[in-house]
Amino acid sequence: MTAPTALAAHCASCHDCGLLCRLPAGSHAGAGCARCGAELHTRKPNSLQRTWALVLAAMLCYLPANLFPVMTVVSLGQRQSDTIFSGVVYLLTHGMWPLAVIVFIASICVPVLKIVSLISLLVSVHRGSGWHPVERTRVYRLTEAIGRWSMVDIYVVTILVALVRLGNLATIEAGAGAVFFGSVVVLTMLAAESFDPRLIWDRAGAARA
Amino acid sequence: MTARGPEERERDDVAEAVVEQRSRPSIVWLIPLVAALVGAFVAYRAISSRGPEITITFKTAEGLEAGKTKVKYKDVEVGLVETVELSKDLSGVICHARMSKGAEGWLRAKTLFWVVKPRISGGQVSGLETLLGGAYIGVDPVLEGEKSREFAGLEVAPLVAMTEAGRYFVLRSLRAGALDVGSPVYFQKIAVGRIVSSDLDPDDDFVTTRVFVQAPYDQRVRADSRFWNASGIDMSVSADGLKVDTQSLISILIGGIAFDVPDDSTAEVAAADAVFPLYENHDAAEKRHYTHTVAYELHFNQSVRGLAIGAPVEFRGIPIGQVTDIKLGYEPTAKNVFRITVTVAIEPERFAGQNVNQKTRRDAVDRMVAGGLRAQLKSGNLLTGQLIVGLDFFKDAAPAKIDWSARVPEMPTVKTPIEEITANLTRVVERLSKLPVEQIGADLQGTLRSLRITLERSEDTGPALKATLEQAQRTLASANALIGPDSGVNSELRRALLELSEAARALALAADQIESQPDSLIWGKKGAQ
Repeated sequence: MTAPTALAAHCASCHDCGLLCRLPAGSHAGAGCARCGAELHTRKPNSLQRTWALVLAAMLCYLPANLFPVMTVVSLGQRQSDTIFSGVVYLLTHGMWPLAVIVFIASICVPVLKIVSLISLLVSVHRGSGWHPVERTRVYRLTEAIGRWSMVDIYVVTILVALVRLGNLATIEAGAGAVFFGSVVVLTMLAAESFDPRLIWDRAGAARA
Repeated sequence: MTARGPEERERDDVAEAVVEQRSRPSIVWLIPLVAALVGAFVAYRAISSRGPEITITFKTAEGLEAGKTKVKYKDVEVGLVETVELSKDLSGVICHARMSKGAEGWLRAKTLFWVVKPRISGGQVSGLETLLGGAYIGVDPVLEGEKSREFAGLEVAPLVAMTEAGRYFVLRSLRAGALDVGSPVYFQKIAVGRIVSSDLDPDDDFVTTRVFVQAPYDQRVRADSRFWNASGIDMSVSADGLKVDTQSLISILIGGIAFDVPDDSTAEVAAADAVFPLYENHDAAEKRHYTHTVAYELHFNQSVRGLAIGAPVEFRGIPIGQVTDIKLGYEPTAKNVFRITVTVAIEPERFAGQNVNQKTRRDAVDRMVAGGLRAQLKSGNLLTGQLIVGLDFFKDAAPAKIDWSARVPEMPTVKTPIEEITANLTRVVERLSKLPVEQIGADLQGTLRSLRITLERSEDTGPALKATLEQAQRTLASANALIGPDSGVNSELRRALLELSEAARALALAADQIESQPDSLIWGKKGAQ
């Protein structure tokens, strides 16, 4: 027994306005929404391929994001460059451990978890696994929801760079690491966006059937 | 089955669409490709911009911070300290620094590293920027020599950069004076260099001072240049008035060295690291111009009070040398038990030029001594009683000859003219004081008084004249007895008294004439008419 899905009923909801349209029989390429005219897809096109590509790109960017300094503080002629991890260590050694925990979770754990969860979702979909589809969908929702919060770091850096411009007294410069870190966050968000969670259920349904 | 029935029927009505499997890779794969390319490019740049890693050893890590302290040359960042650790034997710290790319060319064995800190020396304040920005490692790159990756850091910044044009010279003196490393070196009162180091010689008590003279002034250092300590104020009072000699305010405060070249110098430009004596002051430098001296011993048999070491030796008022030693010789067997030996150093270059050989000189001295050349003590200053040694020709001096075989030849001496005059004067005064002048005067007065009485009486008393004469004779006898025969006054007196007695005798004859022929007073002597 499979659930009565839109796909089974030859229907598709518009990605833009959400209107449920009946698809023409056969190839529905080029089919448009009856209300807003957007192209209709039963599933996100090339979802897995896109997600894979974006996750791979995010993984490639993750390395330099952690190796290069994200921020350079020039105070009284003294330059101090900090990578994400050295920033965490700095906060920890200076007794600001709550802040250190926040930065550690938001900037180091979250991107890694996002990448790991996306890869595991992709692999499970490829394998057509019917294993705990509800939990996997929850993981996906979580990944999508928390993705943007990793940008906190980038916001802090950009705000500081804009605010602290006191010449020789103190200047803050954004490092190359910030660009890569921002790329990681954006790429993982896009990857999460391009993944179609309905694929989990398609395969789960197929496996069950 | 029933639920799906109508749909299957519908499908059966239309032709089955051919769904083509898209095998072309999606354009989305460009994103990881770009990411990979950018990442690879950044990684390549990071790796390629890494220069060599070097180790520098310092005594302390004061001011050094791993990951923060930079290596700078001319304020351009050329490296970064990566780690600082203690050396194994705990004698210092080892500092690992990552140099920027391109540093390989100047990392040679002679390249110098030092920690730049705020420092006040040589009249200059340096490294003030490090007060705020923190210390950094200064480097003096060298382009020649063996390549090296391990360096011993200096404790203080080198005063002279390797690339600075100029030359080093070595000065030797008995005292360092107020000379500090970094103090200036002056030529014609212009600072042309600095003192690089000042150390006590391990072998002797001399202080070796190394100075650096910048180009082009290093060409002014000739082989016969004289260096002197120009520290502080050189003040002297002379017949010309008060003379103050200084180089600059800086040299008063922190000391300095000055040098000059003799006006008539023909010497060639001094070689690098040439050794020069360092004189105490300008005057000493001027005085020691004559390097060649000939010593003579002078023996005096009189007081040398007022003669000091360094007193000038003059020939007819022109200085030709100086007294170098005064000592009292004790020879119990000799005729003169005590003998004062004064050693003088004559500078023949002052009058004979530079190149006179020994034989010519000795022959000339022999001739001069034969001609009466003698040394004597002379008064240099009447007020202070300073004595000098004077050389002059004395025609009537006792003949003498110089014994050249002695270690220090002896120059014959004559007594001081002042001393001779003094001795003569003393003798005259002594004899004069022995004369009984008062007694002579009193006696003379009494004699003259009685003479007048006698003359008064002789006019009226003819017979009394005899008694008068007798009295006069007694008087003369007593005067004769009183006044010594040696005295010139006595003889004069005697002569006067003799004449007086002559006159008295004539008077007696006249009296006899008057007695026998009283009219002769009016008519004169008959015999005469």
